[in-house]
Amino acid sequence: MQKYRHRLFSIKNPYDTQSDSIFVRAVKENFYYHYTHCHEYRTIAQHLGVDTDSFASIDDIAHLPCLPTLLFKRHRIKSTPALIKATSSGTSGNFSEIGFDIGDLLCALKMSCKIMHRRHLISLIPCHYIVMGYKPHHSNHTAVTKTAFGATLFTPAISRRYILKYKNGTYSPDFNGILLALKKLSKSIFPVRFMGFPSYTFFLMKMMDEQGIHIQLKKGSKIMLGGGWKQFYAEQTDKESFYHLAKKVFDINEQNIVEFFGAVEHPILYCDCPNHHFHVPVYSRIIIRDVDTLQPVSKETIGLVNLITPMINATPILSVMTDDLGILHDSSQCGCGIQTPYLEIIGRVAPTEIKTCAAGATDALKEVTQ
Amino acid sequence: MILFKGKLYENSDQDQILSEMEPYINHTLTEKSLSTETVIAAIDALGKEIASGKHDVLLTSLPVDNPAQYKLFAATMLSREILELKLQTELGNTTPSKIHSTIHSRVMPLGVLFHIAAGNMDGLPAFSIAEGLLTGNINILKLPQADNGLSLAIISRLIALEPLLMDYIMVFDTPSTDICAMQRIAELADGISVWCGENAIKAVRSLAPTGAKLIEWGHKLGFCYIAEAKNLHNITTELYALAEHIATTKQLLCSSCQTIYLNTLDETDLHKFCTIFLPLLEAATAKHCSKVIGERAYLTLMRHTEYLEQLIGNPQNTANEYRGTGCRLTVCKDSALELSPMMCHVLVKRLPQEQIISVLRSKKGLLQTAGLICSPENRNAFEELFARSGVTRITLAGDMSTYFPGEAHDGEYALRRYVRTVDIELCSPYKTL
Repeated sequence: MQKYRHRLFSIKNPYDTQSDSIFVRAVKENFYYHYTHCHEYRTIAQHLGVDTDSFASIDDIAHLPCLPTLLFKRHRIKSTPALIKATSSGTSGNFSEIGFDIGDLLCALKMSCKIMHRRHLISLIPCHYIVMGYKPHHSNHTAVTKTAFGATLFTPAISRRYILKYKNGTYSPDFNGILLALKKLSKSIFPVRFMGFPSYTFFLMKMMDEQGIHIQLKKGSKIMLGGGWKQFYAEQTDKESFYHLAKKVFDINEQNIVEFFGAVEHPILYCDCPNHHFHVPVYSRIIIRDVDTLQPVSKETIGLVNLITPMINATPILSVMTDDLGILHDSSQCGCGIQTPYLEIIGRVAPTEIKTCAAGATDALKEVTQ
Repeated sequence: MILFKGKLYENSDQDQILSEMEPYINHTLTEKSLSTETVIAAIDALGKEIASGKHDVLLTSLPVDNPAQYKLFAATMLSREILELKLQTELGNTTPSKIHSTIHSRVMPLGVLFHIAAGNMDGLPAFSIAEGLLTGNINILKLPQADNGLSLAIISRLIALEPLLMDYIMVFDTPSTDICAMQRIAELADGISVWCGENAIKAVRSLAPTGAKLIEWGHKLGFCYIAEAKNLHNITTELYALAEHIATTKQLLCSSCQTIYLNTLDETDLHKFCTIFLPLLEAATAKHCSKVIGERAYLTLMRHTEYLEQLIGNPQNTANEYRGTGCRLTVCKDSALELSPMMCHVLVKRLPQEQIISVLRSKKGLLQTAGLICSPENRNAFEELFARSGVTRITLAGDMSTYFPGEAHDGEYALRRYVRTVDIELCSPYKTL
């Protein structure tokens, strides 16, 4: 039992601004746990000269060993056996595998309830769910599949329809099946909730608009987005176009469109505010780091995104560095009332940005050498 | 966005436009023709505009380290002098010639070219169109996903400068996943010019209608060869130029140096080389540090990951690694030509002269540039060996990615691939046209 972690995840307001002290204590506790349970983590910490005495104030969390998500993709690093495992989607071939024990899962549940409640996503009114993501399958361990399913548990689910269905060893999208289901659901007395990839949701709405199919879903219907744009990064649309299309095709207003941000290596639920900004909840801290030196930079400066949470015991993901570039904005720039800063993701680090003609040869080389 | 008949359309109009294309193309082929002079004058005018700074806003917005150098390169490539040299070198004399008492031959455009362009160099799709126009073809361009609007801006300006070109240029930004649209366009084409990797080329082959000419420009590999491995102190100038080449291209180009070969069997020569070369590469890397934030972040992230991997006992053998700030050399046991991790991380290998052909032949089809560091008295012999191995460019080490006006691309002249020869039987005494 880690008492400070328990206290942190018991804070009533998920955007409380007075949580620094308890957060640091929980970090220290979690650091000690990984230090004593994970050989790799201890080795890194010792090389960096970091021990439990290193963390006195919130500024000291910058000294935590910051492990890149890439490290978890290349190596299976763990502290204790996991009750369940979740993986990243592995769009670039490799994937992280993050374990959760029972305590980790309880924290995740408490956090999700508080954040979903704050955004009015918990309801007793039953819903039909259209999952714009993967249908669960025993071979699919991705976090994005588990969280999409989890998001359908916050109201009684009358039905669940999935766009990506597993058939003959692979997933393929079924836009026409979803379209037929939606036509039927538009006559239902219950609202419809979409949950899943923004890309598939956008493609569906675009397809319906091009075919002149506009339906009016019941009041209370929502679009929940999560999982990023994945391989459709280049086709990423601006949010205004998305909201406009949602209103036109489903009669769903902007305030009923909710976006989530998260990573399997930092399983904190970031939910956007009514102004669609990802404010940092009490369970997490973000340090933006200089792209050359990795030193922390001030707010409003672009850099590498370092995410910190003491939530997980099974895997040492206390402080991880994603391959995203982002900016941490002061809460005053939002104006929604939440007082914690918010994260804006600007994009991924190269190689998507790196233009290479030599790299393509690797595919050919693989074939040559196979 | 779609460019058709000189106007821009939304992608939602794609189906309608695709259904209009065949009659439109047939009408153009029946009623119109495009003179080389018209094309050269238009491209030259565009080049002059770029040189004068008229498009500086567009060029400086590109994610390239040196927009001024990029501008100079673009203006040079689009100049009348270079275009005429290209035509002369690649096609030679195209006036009809009598080849037999009853036959004469004419060089004609293929007809309709479908360009599936790559996004690995800004503006390359537009240059591919320019090559199609120079040979009189109707050009349909599928923009790469990574295109940042530059190609469409260049092409739109070209049409504005010479409205006669509008019937010869159509642009689509259809994603490759829209197989149906890709197939409909491919069915209109006499030739399909595809710039991409092996997998994409295979996909295009399956799209192409029987009889359409496939013009493939695949990804290639470059390397440097040091012929006198025991005399490294005599080649400092060449090594400095090689370091500059690696730091400026970051090994991202087909012509970039991925592997440095030394003409030796002795592995200690490789380590001696690394000791000498690492400071040169480190200095060049510092001098040409990327200004693109994503690239810098990527490099920092990779270095940090590798550092941690070292701490936790990465199984990779680090004894053969020479690390500098922002660069690295890895001494390898084998001799195979392969892609390096790029971004100033170079592989160093042994390749004795007598094994050159056998080692390089195993990668035939992927070979492009060999940067040769060699004494003048032995140079001819090594040039001959590399030329026989399948390499298509042999340069000085510092010039591996330098463009030489009139040079072939991957061993072929593009314009020759975009034309066909028509033999016409004479029914009256031959007259010069």
